[in-house]
Amino acid sequence: MNTMKRVSLLFVLLSLPVIALAQTPQATPPAPAAPRSGTFPKPVEETLPNGLRVIVIQRSESPLVAVQLLIKNGGEVDPPELAGLADMTAALLTKGTQSRDATLIAQEIESLGGSLDSFARWDSSFTNLNVMSSKIGPAMEILADVVRRPTFKSEEVERLRQQYLDNVTLALGDPGSIARFVSARVVFGDSPYGHPIAGTADSLTRITAADIVKLHSRFYRPDNAVLVIGGDISAKDGIELAKRYFGDWQKPGALIETLSAGIEKPQGSPGRVVVVDKPDAGQAAVYLVRKGINRKDADFYRGIVANSVLSGYSGRLNQEIRIKRGLSYGAGSSLDARRDVGPFTASAQTKNESGAVVADLLLGEIGRLSSAPPVDAELTPRKAVLIGNFSRNLETASGFVMQAGLLAVQGVGLDEINRYINTVQAITTSDVQKFAGTRLDAKTSNIIIVGNAKAFLPELQKKYPNVEVIPVTELDLNTALLRKKQATGE
Amino acid sequence: MVRKSMRFLAMICVLVASQFGGVAQTRMPQMKFSDRTLANGMRVLSVADSSSPTVAIQVWYHVGSKDDPDKRSGFAHLFEHIMFKSTKNMKSEMMDRLTEDVGGFNNAFTADDMTVYFEVVPSNYLETLLWAEADRLSGLNVDDANFKSERDVVKEEYRQAVLAPPYGLFQYYLQQRSFTAHPYMRPGIGSIEDLDAALLKDVQEFHTTYYRPDNATLVVVGDFDQKQLDGWVDKYFAPIAKPNRPLPRVSVKEPGRKAEARFTEYGRNDLPAVGVTYLAPRKADPDAPAVYVADAILSAGESSRLYNALVYQQQLAAEVNSNFETREDVSLFVLTAVLSEGKKAEDAEKSLLEEIKKLQDAPVSAAELEKAKNQMITDQLRQRETSNGKALALGEAALLLGDPGSVNTDLPRLQAVTAADVQRVMKKYFTDANRVVLYYLPEASKAKKEGN
Repeated sequence: MNTMKRVSLLFVLLSLPVIALAQTPQATPPAPAAPRSGTFPKPVEETLPNGLRVIVIQRSESPLVAVQLLIKNGGEVDPPELAGLADMTAALLTKGTQSRDATLIAQEIESLGGSLDSFARWDSSFTNLNVMSSKIGPAMEILADVVRRPTFKSEEVERLRQQYLDNVTLALGDPGSIARFVSARVVFGDSPYGHPIAGTADSLTRITAADIVKLHSRFYRPDNAVLVIGGDISAKDGIELAKRYFGDWQKPGALIETLSAGIEKPQGSPGRVVVVDKPDAGQAAVYLVRKGINRKDADFYRGIVANSVLSGYSGRLNQEIRIKRGLSYGAGSSLDARRDVGPFTASAQTKNESGAVVADLLLGEIGRLSSAPPVDAELTPRKAVLIGNFSRNLETASGFVMQAGLLAVQGVGLDEINRYINTVQAITTSDVQKFAGTRLDAKTSNIIIVGNAKAFLPELQKKYPNVEVIPVTELDLNTALLRKKQATGE
Repeated sequence: MVRKSMRFLAMICVLVASQFGGVAQTRMPQMKFSDRTLANGMRVLSVADSSSPTVAIQVWYHVGSKDDPDKRSGFAHLFEHIMFKSTKNMKSEMMDRLTEDVGGFNNAFTADDMTVYFEVVPSNYLETLLWAEADRLSGLNVDDANFKSERDVVKEEYRQAVLAPPYGLFQYYLQQRSFTAHPYMRPGIGSIEDLDAALLKDVQEFHTTYYRPDNATLVVVGDFDQKQLDGWVDKYFAPIAKPNRPLPRVSVKEPGRKAEARFTEYGRNDLPAVGVTYLAPRKADPDAPAVYVADAILSAGESSRLYNALVYQQQLAAEVNSNFETREDVSLFVLTAVLSEGKKAEDAEKSLLEEIKKLQDAPVSAAELEKAKNQMITDQLRQRETSNGKALALGEAALLLGDPGSVNTDLPRLQAVTAADVQRVMKKYFTDANRVVLYYLPEASKAKKEGN
């Protein structure tokens, strides 16, 4: 793995104390040896005549193969009243084809020692296969069958609907997941990234088998798909497998629709402070959320480096909230750069009494990123963290496949993988400051707290007189209003 | 990110619960490891593998939550957090400077029988990390402010793991109710009261008692030169003296269960849950491989018996699981189900027990046995894809089986399990008298019941 450039920089940093205290060698850490460098394997790709893009990455340390079949649309294409449609469609692929029922699919794939899962995310839907390399042929045949010939029988739709409804109930018992649902509505309003990707109780009840069949026929087509194969397999064998099982997948005559999530301007009105009152919550989930960037934004690398200054174990948020004050088990942030503008989120869970304090700390650290940007001694280690995480994710077959798949879905060339380290290294203090100042303004961010409001609301209201309080029993995730209409007396 | 954490334990159990199997045409990588014991009693296991310029370093201490001092539940885990504060020659969080800041990471977990510290770093930092691990084994230097602040972090961890998620208390109660005498009955995360009662002087005492070279196993996997590693180990670990005191060991034996025990608890969950546990053989017991196979047949994947019956066919449960939680003294086999909307705990219990009975009444088919074994092989391969994963397998084998070589023999042992073996262990351990049943019901249903 190429983790080396950051290492030579750090060599200087860590050598200093060694020199200063050299008289007791045991009292100071020995300096690192010369770094050894490595490179990432280079993916091989080919687009089949039917438009299917095939990517193969060989790494043969373990006799495993990971495969991901991606459709370049996911939850963002759900019609507003049918939240969860793309995810249910994906999940139903493995629940029956023209030649196999759900039980047989599970039995056959698991008899090979493999696993096959399918689900939707934003911007894409996945079918993931993990299997020993000696079993890849028969496993690929099943993968192709479920993607190309699912039957969406009504019995299976009903069964899955109930499972999804149960999952909604389970998620609504957890302050953290409620906060994530509310965050999406606050940032994206009623636009496509705003709804819960696995639906709401109302939307799930409305979804029909016909809706599912329609979504499948619109988006599941070879010229809207990417097949990524990685692990103990050669490029030649990988391409051959793709041709054998997907080569005769017919591309429909009509051109594929290009859809945008359409949220260059997310619809949420910034500066909201929303409290969801859940009196029995064992902890408060505190979230600071705002619109972030899309993956092709020229500021992408500035953004991820800025985020790494805030996030991670030794990032500023965890330093201030956990390490210095003991207020949380962990605080962090994420800059989720999607095909369209995604969210920036900073969050921590804390005892209910500290809800307002933690909100202040989150806001303070976002502001401090531009008022007190990281000098090199702080920035260099944070870049090392980013590069180290990136490199480790590429150590496993499934990790590499996921990274390549993500770039493919976002329309970014795979050369990016071997450019990543240098690009991150080139980011400077002023880049971070500029990004923080222009793209992460604290004033246009929103605060969400889900917890026992009694414990933190008075303190919060002193600072934010505009706070909206929604009892959890009146929470409505179907719209950006977030409140059930009857409850407001309309 | 889960870090310095109890939650990691669950993951380990899942991984460990499924590490066997066998298929002739797959080349199963063998781990060629070096095994040496220093004069001070410290065991050192290592596997050289230069496929990536990184190295995983782990120190396994044979002390866990079962060794929590009296009235100090959660202490071993709290102590694990403190090990990242000031040590003999490092100031607080210096371990992060030596790992995270150079692109690596560190973490640790506390289980019932052991505490494990680990780092993955670019391989040119190996010597630095050996120095650091030796330093914190040599001594701690924690002040009261650091101690209290980290204790607050652990209390937040307790809230996040136990109080905030709707089924956190369910897992907590399930462990408490499953033992009657053995300290395994105390959940490793502890309780707020016991954490509050812990004192700085307890920290020093715990370190002196348990953190000694003859209670530690160092595992190093990744990019290094064996001779160089041996030299560094001699330089940094060999000088640490072996104390001339006996090492306390838990001697309490959990008595066998005489009759089914049933419990009901109420929580902030909306859907009821049912848990069923059986005392099960220790990991080193010859019956353990057959129990692993039974576990896979019951709950590995959607073709498993429990998923197929409770989730797919009967649609009773939103989630169902089984887990062979291996421990050093006595293991636990745990079955859990979270019910689907409108379903009754009684019906889920009945179904769980029916599936147990089916495995007792008739041998599994050759195809089902083969399927379970294949699933276990793939799981093991995936667990061992990274250096850190390989080191975890090696450390676990050394500590719980006393035989690191079992990393290379556990698959053949699994492969030898027959349908008759599975049926035999199902009859032997899954008896009515050996059963604890816990219903975890919504608080609202209690009010309703009392109102009636």
